[in-house]
Amino acid sequence: MSGASSWCWFAHVEEPPDGATAAARVRDRDGHPAGALAAWVQRAKPLRDARRVDVRAIDPAGAPATISLVLPPPGVRLPFDDLAVQQARRDALAAPPFDVLSTLLRDASHFEGAVTVARGANVRRLAEDPFARIFPALVLEVEAGLFGRMPAPAGPTIERYGSAQPWPWDRFPTAA
Amino acid sequence: MSALATKRAVLAPGARFPDVALRDHAGNERWLSELVVGDPVVLQFYRGFWCPKEQAFLRRLVRLQDEAEVAYCRFISVSVDEPRVAAAFRAGLGARWTFLCDPDRVVLERLGLRETTDTVNDPYVPAVFTLFPDLEIHRAYDGYWYWGRPTDEELRQDMRAISRRIRPDWSAPTP
Repeated sequence: MSGASSWCWFAHVEEPPDGATAAARVRDRDGHPAGALAAWVQRAKPLRDARRVDVRAIDPAGAPATISLVLPPPGVRLPFDDLAVQQARRDALAAPPFDVLSTLLRDASHFEGAVTVARGANVRRLAEDPFARIFPALVLEVEAGLFGRMPAPAGPTIERYGSAQPWPWDRFPTAA
Repeated sequence: MSALATKRAVLAPGARFPDVALRDHAGNERWLSELVVGDPVVLQFYRGFWCPKEQAFLRRLVRLQDEAEVAYCRFISVSVDEPRVAAAFRAGLGARWTFLCDPDRVVLERLGLRETTDTVNDPYVPAVFTLFPDLEIHRAYDGYWYWGRPTDEELRQDMRAISRRIRPDWSAPTP
């Protein structure tokens, strides 16, 4: 999914919410229900805990996938330009690409997590998610209808194209 | 002028570099324009992993990527290697940019960048182009002889010149 905006809203919720652009139930690696993930392509923030995600990650027609969802523990905040986050971006560029990779943002200055989507043989590589060295990762099985497949970042840029854009969104607004 | 020379002659400053599609090091088809988007580009054609000159030049590019990663520009390297070979070479170098693969030499022929003196590997002739986002060629470097390749400083100067022209806020906004 893409459009005029580089990002959309994304949240881990208990049930697929009404009004979401895309949503899918999730299970943990033991098969236990673990709520749902949802995305909203809209200006207004739909939930207090919603975060910005690269809009190219979301596809209502997307296939089932396994994801690594990295979120900061409650009350913990880390600058997006922290050296650990910089290195995770470098490591993500150096490794073979996944189907989806996006950092998550709530504001212009903090790292609020990352989501990495894998399918097939790449699922085992989720254990090497570089963002999971920063905060704990939830590895989840996601039903169809939420995550698509986005082009791998061209590299070597680790900077955001504007502080409101989730890395690796790859262009300034004038180049969209 | 031979047909080959004619093809290469059009890859000159001011001309538009052809928008070509090749598989990347992960095996995905990528268009040059899709990789470039809105940034200045260093587009490098190299013989292959086995060439000492390419190893030396790529090690320099790897060092330069520590600046490029914060400077909103892109590197793209192209060879006749298969994706798995390119991926292994890229990983060994520590490169964090996209490597494109032309094992069938389709784009090589289209661009006229065949190194005719190497009939064993049939590779690209080493060449570097710095490009504007619309693929206009800013400068072209013939790397057949190692010293024909751009120095780090020349690449910095090229990235600066292109950035100055394409960034509307190149001069910092002042009160």
